[in-house]
Amino acid sequence: MSRLLLVVQRYGEEVVGGSEAHARAAAQRLAERHDVEVATTDALDYWTWAPHFPLGVAQDGAVTVRRFPVRAPRDPHFKEFEERVLLGRHTLQDELEWLTRQGPDCPQLLEFLHDVARSGEYDRVIFYTYIYLPTAQGLPIVPERAVLIPTAHRERALHLAPYRALFHLPRAIGYLTPEERDLVHEVLHNESVPSTVLGFALDAPPPSDAVAFRERHALHGPMVLYLGQVSEGKGINELLRCWDAYRAGDGVADATLVLAGTVRMELPERPDVRVLGPVSDEDKWAALTAADVLVQPSHLESLGISLLEAWQAETPALVPEWNAVTAGQVRRSGGGETYGSDADFTVKLAGLLLGTDHGARGKRWVERECSWPAFDERLEELLELAGVA
Amino acid sequence: MVQRYGDVAGGAEQHARELVRRLVPHFDVTVATTAARDYWTWENEFVPGETRVDGVPVMRFAVARPRGRDFKDRERRAFDETASLVDERAFIDSQGPVTPELLEYLSDSAATYAQILFFTYIYYPTVYGLPLAPERAVLVPTAHDEPALRLASYKPIFHAARAIAFNTEEERRLVHGRFGNARVPNDIVGVGVDVPADRSGPRFRAQHGITGPLFLYVGRVVESKGTDQLFSHWGGWVETRRALGAKLVVIGKAEMPIPQRDDVVHLGFVSEQEKYDALDAADAVIVPERYSSLSMVTLEAWACGKPVVCSAYCNVLRGMSRRSGGGLYYADHGEFSELLDLLVADPSLGKRLGAAGAAFVARTYTWPIVVEKYLDLFAEVRRRLH
Repeated sequence: MSRLLLVVQRYGEEVVGGSEAHARAAAQRLAERHDVEVATTDALDYWTWAPHFPLGVAQDGAVTVRRFPVRAPRDPHFKEFEERVLLGRHTLQDELEWLTRQGPDCPQLLEFLHDVARSGEYDRVIFYTYIYLPTAQGLPIVPERAVLIPTAHRERALHLAPYRALFHLPRAIGYLTPEERDLVHEVLHNESVPSTVLGFALDAPPPSDAVAFRERHALHGPMVLYLGQVSEGKGINELLRCWDAYRAGDGVADATLVLAGTVRMELPERPDVRVLGPVSDEDKWAALTAADVLVQPSHLESLGISLLEAWQAETPALVPEWNAVTAGQVRRSGGGETYGSDADFTVKLAGLLLGTDHGARGKRWVERECSWPAFDERLEELLELAGVA
Repeated sequence: MVQRYGDVAGGAEQHARELVRRLVPHFDVTVATTAARDYWTWENEFVPGETRVDGVPVMRFAVARPRGRDFKDRERRAFDETASLVDERAFIDSQGPVTPELLEYLSDSAATYAQILFFTYIYYPTVYGLPLAPERAVLVPTAHDEPALRLASYKPIFHAARAIAFNTEEERRLVHGRFGNARVPNDIVGVGVDVPADRSGPRFRAQHGITGPLFLYVGRVVESKGTDQLFSHWGGWVETRRALGAKLVVIGKAEMPIPQRDDVVHLGFVSEQEKYDALDAADAVIVPERYSSLSMVTLEAWACGKPVVCSAYCNVLRGMSRRSGGGLYYADHGEFSELLDLLVADPSLGKRLGAAGAAFVARTYTWPIVVEKYLDLFAEVRRRLH
């Protein structure tokens, strides 16, 4: 039993975000075997960092949560400033300032870590998400007891000055996927820091009624599902182009592409592309179960949770080969196919729609790799790598 | 990367320059430094820009502002055990030398160098510069047991450096104890000591008319080096041993009053030749300082086959004396007197100690060995880079 402190930019049941959800799951699981506290901010929204949660100490199950105030909301001109730092001519000073302007600027949390370093109150301090200020400036205060769970993606920020030393400092690093590990090693050359791949754990999906879902939406014939934000950033324009190519082929007249998620782009009105908008959790599972194939065209998808959920519903996945994370997941699980061009998309989609064992293989893999006991074991392995006896 | 470079006073800075001269045959070396000559004011006395020192390209960056006027106050606050992170930062910035352009250069150009040596842990350029290129950084901390070493702000450089070159076993133990960073590849490297073969004690004695026992102090004459205590111990001892005609020879700049007495001979600055003649003439070299990362004069005394009498309160010198068998240490006036009595009574003791010291220096602190160790640390950096 160790005394652990987990640092994350936002924490709570109502917080939306992949990294934050992972952090909370890890805190709760660790609390079954260790004494766990969380140090975080009072923000709920990752963009404004506006105060939301009461300051001070609160309880989340077995986890004690300490919330510190964000000093100032995010700078309204942050976007323009960031564009220059990420894409234009800029100085070292700009890169350092970018970190502060991104926030959340929470000096009391940093001073708390400074006190922690002196008192030795926690055996290990686990930092979630490399990119935000509490980790970028907090981890260097306690490197001798730090564990980093970076949740890094292929993004320009990873190359900025505030992070050059960060990935060299912790006792151990927990990556979410092997692709994330390879990326960080490639950019930052920190192979000497011990690391493990934590992956994810998933609850069993709730029961769902695929037949009712199809009836409600009048979906007959093959159903290809996209789940997530519907925007160009997520590659939906490319998906529509691929879909055109597929429809131009033979024998697929009654197939429908279903887009489920918040719409942030112009979409063509056509009978073979069904736009559902945001869906409830219940509908999400019904859609995943009803679908014949889940397609995830994003270039930047870094966690690939929707793939894992599709496999829980025994639905195969189709992803572009240029997204290392999702392509790696498909390769490891055998739960789908990757495509390298519009023409290849057509071939691979047609293959998956013929009915294959990809969905079943995905399901077996996800049940083995994403179980809570497997996740617990990997968390313990991470602590061991960090020198926890 | 070093805070000052060229014709400047300072142990670490001399160390850097000597090392650069020895690395030049193996590497294409560039020195990045400031335009400051004085470590207190950081005034830009050199011309900023590119120049050469000993034939090596040197890039001098202007210091943006002098040491803070509030420095002493900042230091006091940062060293208090309730100090905040903000207090620590204020101390480091006030201490300086504040060199934003040097940092911009490091940030832009780090990748064009195979490895970057950062000299001394304590100053701004290393604190903010090393984290910009940790994957190719070799830190030469020159740390000793001082309050600054307790600040959290120094942790990143000791944990992020790819390798650390310590001066002594004691420095390594101190740093590992303080930072828990034993995982960072490291070695005891230090510096090489070259002493000329031509050194003549009789020449020195004849020149200064000294015939009796001769004890030598070399270094700045200043309280922080322990010379005030040296003078009081010396006075106490020599008063009761008048018949010996013993002399304390003091070489170095006086920054405090030196007792005016015929058994203390202050020579101020002397030539290198005269210094080595004095070392050859000495029965022992006295090193009273309590804080030291590496004492050059101790290594030089040993290289000349002379015993060292040092303060037992200096971990580094006490440890090195014990390991080498080349020195004796005193904790108080009584022990100081006893050691001097022993050395005067038995000249063969001094010879045995000196020979042991010479063997220790030959084992560790010679340039071929030092350069070889740096080559090994650099190989470690390159191995990890690709």
